[in-house]
Amino acid sequence: MSPRPQLVALPGYADRQADVQFCGHCGRAAAVDIAQPASRVCGRCELGLLIGAPPQLAPAPSDPFLLVDSTLSVCGVSALAEDLLGLKETEAVNRHVNELLVPADAEASGPGDLVNLLMHAARGEGEVHEVVVRPTSEFGIRYWARIGPCGPPRAALVVLGDGRIR
Amino acid sequence: MRTLKTSEAAAVLNVSPNTLRAWERRFGYPKPQRTAGKHRLYTHGEVAALRDALQEGLSISSAISRARESLSADTSILVGALQSFELDRADGAMEAALALRSVERSVEEVLLPSVNEIGERHGFDSAPWAFAARWAADWLQRAQRLAPPPMRPAAVLIGDATHDDLDTDALALRALQLFCVRSGARVLVLPVSGVSGLVDVLRAFEPQVVVVAGAEAPDDQVARWAYRVRSAAGPLQITLFRRGRMDRARPADRELAFGPGEAHRQILEMFDGGARPASVSAPHDEPALVPRRRRANA
Repeated sequence: MSPRPQLVALPGYADRQADVQFCGHCGRAAAVDIAQPASRVCGRCELGLLIGAPPQLAPAPSDPFLLVDSTLSVCGVSALAEDLLGLKETEAVNRHVNELLVPADAEASGPGDLVNLLMHAARGEGEVHEVVVRPTSEFGIRYWARIGPCGPPRAALVVLGDGRIR
Repeated sequence: MRTLKTSEAAAVLNVSPNTLRAWERRFGYPKPQRTAGKHRLYTHGEVAALRDALQEGLSISSAISRARESLSADTSILVGALQSFELDRADGAMEAALALRSVERSVEEVLLPSVNEIGERHGFDSAPWAFAARWAADWLQRAQRLAPPPMRPAAVLIGDATHDDLDTDALALRALQLFCVRSGARVLVLPVSGVSGLVDVLRAFEPQVVVVAGAEAPDDQVARWAYRVRSAAGPLQITLFRRGRMDRARPADRELAFGPGEAHRQILEMFDGGARPASVSAPHDEPALVPRRRRANA
């Protein structure tokens, strides 16, 4: 007698926590009582779209962050990241991420690490990683950045935080 | 062209009217026209392009950038058609542009930039420029024939100070003329080189606003023309359009914006604000546009 077929959960999926929804502009969690629940537009600031990310990656409202697509173009810059990097989102969008951030970790093997991490994350692959970056053309400044997948649509989320993976 | 009120556009995008106004302030998009009552009127094409882009966007900025790209395709098509000297395709590109925008915005955002790009690529003394400029002038003339008859008791006299039809300012002048006609004003374009018989024409036309457009005619010639205009139509304020090097005797002489759309809006404001009416055969005052050295000699 043949064994009864069973459904087997793939590792990493069964125990996966639901994504946290946050605004791509103000960084605050999605309000449950927003006026237009079907809309992706943030009901609080009205200037960002709601994005999902794993809880250990999702930014706190006080974290500046960037969104990067699979072509490594910047697709979004939060309000705090605008202040931190000194440029408006409208100026940053469609620019290559290396025009804004480059690796700053002396022990990293090279700039390809950041690029690889971003490309993997933008494809929805990989865990949350932490790298050290600095603004392009600026020295003496470092940010600890968490990089991981977010979406939809799929993209890489770069949270410039305090260096502790939650 | 289909247009939407603020509430309708907000419903298409599934956002509140306040959100739409906030986007206009921060991103400059979608860019509404205004009705006579100053209410916003959005073009359906712009709103639809943004709706599609928002579904695949990561931020409002990137979605707007994508929506703008999809709309700017019309410019690329028109430049391509003019580069390959295909008049039918050029007309088709403008038809496509008109499906998404008003005539005014199609001219300002598609026609003029495309023709200008041809000039910059090949030179403003080249055959491709002449081809493109002549086609554009012809298109503007055809659009003018489709304009509604004059509805406003408003008359604009434009003094043509451009060199010829291939002058880079000539198309902007034609565009300004078209916009004024479409807003219901009577428009008369006369070359500033011709002053003979000007008084008779102006007594019949009775302009309320006078615009000198173009930078090619010498100041002396423009001053003589303006003197004759004021002799016939009274002490009207002369406004300048794309006349950078005018020796302005009066600082009050108003310079219109460089773009024909904005210049047209300023002209309408002058009417709404009560431009001085024409008083035929009124005693004329000091000629305002006579160069300083000549006035000193007088």
